[in-house]
Amino acid sequence: MVPFAYFTAPLAVGAISAALAALISVTDKIVNNYGDIDVAINDGKKELTIKGGQPLLFGLAEEGIFIPSACGGRGSCGTCKVQVSTDIGPVMPTELPFLEKKELEEGIRLSCQIKLKQPLSIAIPEELFNVRDYIGIVERINDVTHDIKEVYVKLPDDTDVTFVSGQYGQFEVPPYDKVKEATMRAYSMSSPPSDTKHLEFLIRLVPGGIVTTYVHTNLQEGQKIRVVGPFGDFYVRDTDMAMICVAGGSGMAPFKSIFQNRIDDGTINDRDIWYFFGARTKKDLFYLDWLYELDRTYERFHFIPALSEPQAEDEWDGPTGLITEVLGSYLQETIPTEQAKEGYLCGSPGMLDACMAVMQQHKMDPERIYFDKFA
Amino acid sequence: MKMSPEFTKAQQNMQPGVITSNGFLGDDHRNVVEIVEADEEHFAALGIDFDEIAERLRFLMNEGRKGLGEPITVSDRWIVTVYEARGHLASPFEDGVFRKVNAQIEWAPDGNASGKTILVSDLSLHLLEHYHFLQGRGSPFRLEPPDLKEVLAY
Repeated sequence: MVPFAYFTAPLAVGAISAALAALISVTDKIVNNYGDIDVAINDGKKELTIKGGQPLLFGLAEEGIFIPSACGGRGSCGTCKVQVSTDIGPVMPTELPFLEKKELEEGIRLSCQIKLKQPLSIAIPEELFNVRDYIGIVERINDVTHDIKEVYVKLPDDTDVTFVSGQYGQFEVPPYDKVKEATMRAYSMSSPPSDTKHLEFLIRLVPGGIVTTYVHTNLQEGQKIRVVGPFGDFYVRDTDMAMICVAGGSGMAPFKSIFQNRIDDGTINDRDIWYFFGARTKKDLFYLDWLYELDRTYERFHFIPALSEPQAEDEWDGPTGLITEVLGSYLQETIPTEQAKEGYLCGSPGMLDACMAVMQQHKMDPERIYFDKFA
Repeated sequence: MKMSPEFTKAQQNMQPGVITSNGFLGDDHRNVVEIVEADEEHFAALGIDFDEIAERLRFLMNEGRKGLGEPITVSDRWIVTVYEARGHLASPFEDGVFRKVNAQIEWAPDGNASGKTILVSDLSLHLLEHYHFLQGRGSPFRLEPPDLKEVLAY
């Protein structure tokens, strides 16, 4: 005969487990119920009351304050920095890899790693008050090269977007395949600010990249898409110095916006602009017709595309070599040495570092070299 | 070999959503030790060595960086493109933080693209070199031993 306990023991264990789970849940609600938390931003310029217990990054976003984050609050990108003047305890080990000594001294923290548990006073760049959360519709997707798509997003009819050429937006794609959560990545706007009803991005396929893979394989015209922005301090300074602009691949995006904006506001011919664009082969070049037309139309606009490994079928008779080599050659031989210059760079960290070294070799002031690093 | 506490913790960190959205295990139901042991056996059967593979991958990634974000032909045998994204990734073994640098390496004898590629990151190279962990089947950064042998020309 089967003992009675054979049946009752599992039930008893289950009941005890359920009771413990309920107890933990209730305790958690009591102990970790931080209530509403007051957050003062920029010396009280903005004061918010945010539900406690959540990361500061998410709490601010709920209130319409969007701190840039390239990883969606996972603590892996180190971009969601804010200055905290309240004593909230020591820096977390998860923050340390992203904070320099000077930042630690200034109270800089990662907002995704700060749990809202007590009233806070923080400082953020003023321009973040201008950041908005948009749900747009993908109006058009064009292949501009074999691995770069131009994505043109229409914003809601009652929306007018405001940004400065050179800034970027965070582009969100929904869960797909094995990716179980929405994922955001940052891309520069390639459309000009005058087009207040649209945002355009150039998105290059990165093997293994969650967002770029989605854009290149799943994204459809007519689809709703979330964009948060604008962010960033890469923009043209208001001087009359020659602009030495260098890009490769999708680094074209901010420059397309900058040049079109200068056409729109009539300033394209106000200062010398040298635009160096590097690619490996001719199939990696794009917008050539438009850029050559600018070169022909505007006396002070100079377009220099360069190929690092032109193929025989390319029949290329333009500059050849890494873009740094071509840039150095022009700074040495073509662009007047005595002319004051500013550098504008957009590309991978390796490209930027190499270009900055070349520019400094040619006596350009490092304080006047501005860049938008992909990383 | 049994799962040590270090590997047990690493396996938890490899789940989707912990360090990366996709995780490191793909749709592989084996544990980390089983994956490592199977790949070590596969390496032995193919006659390739983890240290040599790591050394060649590192050489190709370093050479690829000279392309400044564009593809570059290396030694007239590979076309390497190094992509750098914003941010860092922690190792699931909690022994370092790595920049998000990926290299696509294509076997290209005499500079001619073959279409045979592997994808390696700073982090996946670290996992290969230090733990012989090539990631689970179905993971976007899984390095298949036969692909390594073929593309790296061993």
